[in-house]
Amino acid sequence: MNEVDRNDRIVAAAGRLPEEISPERDLWPGIAETIDRPQRARWTPMFAQAAAVVLLVGASSGLTYLAMQDDPAPAAIVAPDLLFEPASYSAGYALGPEYLEARSEMSARLDEELARLSPEARDDVEKNLAVIRSAIAEINTALDDEPTNRLLQQLLLNAYQDEFALMRQVGGLTNRVMSRQDI
Amino acid sequence: MIASNELERGGEAEWIARAMRADTGAFESLYRLHIGRVYGLCLRMTGSVAEAEDCAQEAFIQAWNKLDRFRGDSTFGTWLHRIAVNAVLGRMRKSKREHDRIQLVADTEKPPVTEADTGELRDLAEAIDRLPEGARHVFVLYAVYGYSHEEAGGMLGIAPGTSKAQLHRARRLLAQQLEDTRLES
Repeated sequence: MNEVDRNDRIVAAAGRLPEEISPERDLWPGIAETIDRPQRARWTPMFAQAAAVVLLVGASSGLTYLAMQDDPAPAAIVAPDLLFEPASYSAGYALGPEYLEARSEMSARLDEELARLSPEARDDVEKNLAVIRSAIAEINTALDDEPTNRLLQQLLLNAYQDEFALMRQVGGLTNRVMSRQDI
Repeated sequence: MIASNELERGGEAEWIARAMRADTGAFESLYRLHIGRVYGLCLRMTGSVAEAEDCAQEAFIQAWNKLDRFRGDSTFGTWLHRIAVNAVLGRMRKSKREHDRIQLVADTEKPPVTEADTGELRDLAEAIDRLPEGARHVFVLYAVYGYSHEEAGGMLGIAPGTSKAQLHRARRLLAQQLEDTRLES
């Protein structure tokens, strides 16, 4: 038997190894324990973190406003693709179709980009996305209880913007404008 | 058997839809359906029962957290495998004890062979476990689970050409090992 035949035989034999192997113990209880943790328990620290970010941004904006109060109004120089329109809030908010379309496109592109990243970088991006998406889910849950809470609405908007920014950072290509009125 | 498989697949789509709506019972059904292939992959890749159990658990927890991102571009099983490979790679990067692991397997732990691995297959399973990490991962994905070099490379974060080179290396090393085993017996 020559070397090529022998190597092919090894690959063929490996194909006969069982693909399914039952673990010696049931792993489900450990998984269930993790995924069954109450959402509320995870939501609180995340809410606190998000609220801290909002406070920081608010404080920073306030300081900037105070510092600029005596100066003549500066000319606004804003790159077109960074332009955000004012938000309009109401109890019946929903994601706009344009935003959903852009998000869907970016998600598809994100997967392609992720496939090109090293496993380590891909892990980092996926973990960050998971944190943001978990925050979105938890804020939405809280909004079910308090649909008119403006702080929660603001947090939700921020979380969607973070998600969008991260996807855009990875995809790196889109020029779509995210409109606050879409949310 | 075919009817049973079709029933399982039909049930799978329903379970996925329900799990996406946070139904843990449906997710447990998905776990029961796929744990064999996920654990098998983890065991063949890590060569350690304890690490394979941890990786398989981690894979299903990650899958639960990422369910909203599953869009059916691949089968659910392939999607789970991709997550499991990431779990294995992440764990190995963190522990950085591949060298120790080889020692551990050689000295104390029973190799990841199963009851179904008998005779020649048992020798092969043991030889696979002794392969260097990169070659072992490619060989397991390509030869045992039937993924293409593009798919295996995508899961491992390496180019298809690198996957081919690792496979070539794995086959050469396995041939040597199996020849040594034959001569010893």
